[in-house]
Amino acid sequence: MNMIETHDLCKQYGTTLRVSHLNLSVPEGSIYGFLGPNGAGKSTTLKMILGLVRPTAGDIQVLEKTMNNANRLAVLRQVGSLIESPSYYGHLTGEENLRIVQTLRGVPERNIREVLQIVRLDGQFGKKVAHYSLGMKQRLALATALLGYPKLLILDEPTNGLDPAGIQEMRELICKLPGQFGMTVVVSSHLLSEIDQMADHVAIIREGELVFQDTLEALHSRSRHHLALRTTNNAIAHHLLAEKSVPFQEEEGYLILPILSDEITAQLTHFLMKNHLGVIRLEERQKSLEDIFLELTGKAASL
Amino acid sequence: MKLLKLEFLKCRRRKIVLVCAAVLAVELIWMGAFFTRQDAEDLKWGWMLLLYNLSMVDAIILPLSVATLASRNCELEHKGSTWKLLETMTSPGSLYAAKLCWGALVLAALLMIRSGLFLGVGIAQGFQGPVPWGRFGVFTLISWAVSMMVYALQQGLSLWFANQAAALVCGIAGSFLGILSMLFPPALIRCVPWGYYGLMSLVLMDWNQVTRVTSFYWRWPEPTDLLLLCLWATIFLAVGRTLFVRKEV
Repeated sequence: MNMIETHDLCKQYGTTLRVSHLNLSVPEGSIYGFLGPNGAGKSTTLKMILGLVRPTAGDIQVLEKTMNNANRLAVLRQVGSLIESPSYYGHLTGEENLRIVQTLRGVPERNIREVLQIVRLDGQFGKKVAHYSLGMKQRLALATALLGYPKLLILDEPTNGLDPAGIQEMRELICKLPGQFGMTVVVSSHLLSEIDQMADHVAIIREGELVFQDTLEALHSRSRHHLALRTTNNAIAHHLLAEKSVPFQEEEGYLILPILSDEITAQLTHFLMKNHLGVIRLEERQKSLEDIFLELTGKAASL
Repeated sequence: MKLLKLEFLKCRRRKIVLVCAAVLAVELIWMGAFFTRQDAEDLKWGWMLLLYNLSMVDAIILPLSVATLASRNCELEHKGSTWKLLETMTSPGSLYAAKLCWGALVLAALLMIRSGLFLGVGIAQGFQGPVPWGRFGVFTLISWAVSMMVYALQQGLSLWFANQAAALVCGIAGSFLGILSMLFPPALIRCVPWGYYGLMSLVLMDWNQVTRVTSFYWRWPEPTDLLLLCLWATIFLAVGRTLFVRKEV
């Protein structure tokens, strides 16, 4: 079962298509990393899923229900969210903030104390949120999202602005949610390393377009080792490799081959030399996740 | 009801009571200063003089006070970026209505206390004639109705602009125009929303140029003015609500 499905989702501002024909599928029980450089359209997409922004075209299914004005609030009763920056009333205490959400959601009062314990803010009774650190505000926002123990949690850049200790703490909290409460978590970020440490499914968005969507494992499989070969005449080498049925592709003056056993590699170089081709370079390479991200998004790994 | 209750919870520590106390204090000081300068001849108008001047003081004080109250209630949502949280749990239309009801209740309480205070002052001072309980009641209702029309305008501005300077500048301009409009011909006053405090006054003054004598007389607001007041309120409500509901967060 998919907790979120979007079909041809588009959002146009003026003449610019900020989100273009997006087809997302978020499997139940997953931590779904939604990755993309700043300005790629992540927040706009998440806001459309929550009904805070009206899509220009396409449709959205959340918990197997097509979202519309009539059922939006009923569906969102089972969804918790943290969009962009934390939402809070600075002049109220953390508990008072949660009481507002608890009343609106109509959930039991005991949830307030429980979620404060989950995010480790239970020692902050009586302190106004305006006096919280940014990390504490983010944790309070997560507590707000968790208050109704929703089936689906949507977190937009939850570690933004946090120090390394805060990032690690938030990451630990997010990672335990599916196991502990059976939640599905969608977490967006512009940091590949962050998603790599949290998610089991990944979608990568570039300028509003989906460029990758699969498991994290599938993304990692793209970073397999390979051989890079450069000869005195790559054009002839093409024919010779084809003759030996060795798969390859050309990239920046190199012939990229799969990893071959030592014996086959030795036979291949011998075969090339026998055909009067000099081997200039033969390197073993591995693409890092950053390289893959760069390829997919056309930008640096963290922008 | 739930949303309205939450509006009061949200406004904890927002010094709403202090704002209301300041409004009452300013009106009391203003009227106190005015009455101490009146001679025995003027004071014979007692209740009429009080209600006539109260509508003038309202025209100066209430536009800014209403703007401040609306701003205090709406600013907390902008400050905490709470729209994107609230709108996942309730509709923007309900939020708008809850905020408007909060304003209506606060203004009703403020104006009832204000009327009670001035009634007490009048009785304590021994103003001539019977205590005009009914007229005080109608005066309170009119002050509240005009204030609600202004509140609808101010709430619209405070919800639309995150920076509350625009709404407060409008309130200051309203206070200025409120009193200035009393010098306008009636047709022109009707075009100034803040002018309705004076336009719908229950007491009018007549100054005889020949005898140089000032006299006061009771009157009821004209039905046309009541209709126009409703029209202004409807326009501010409809525009403010539509803009707020259609705004994407």
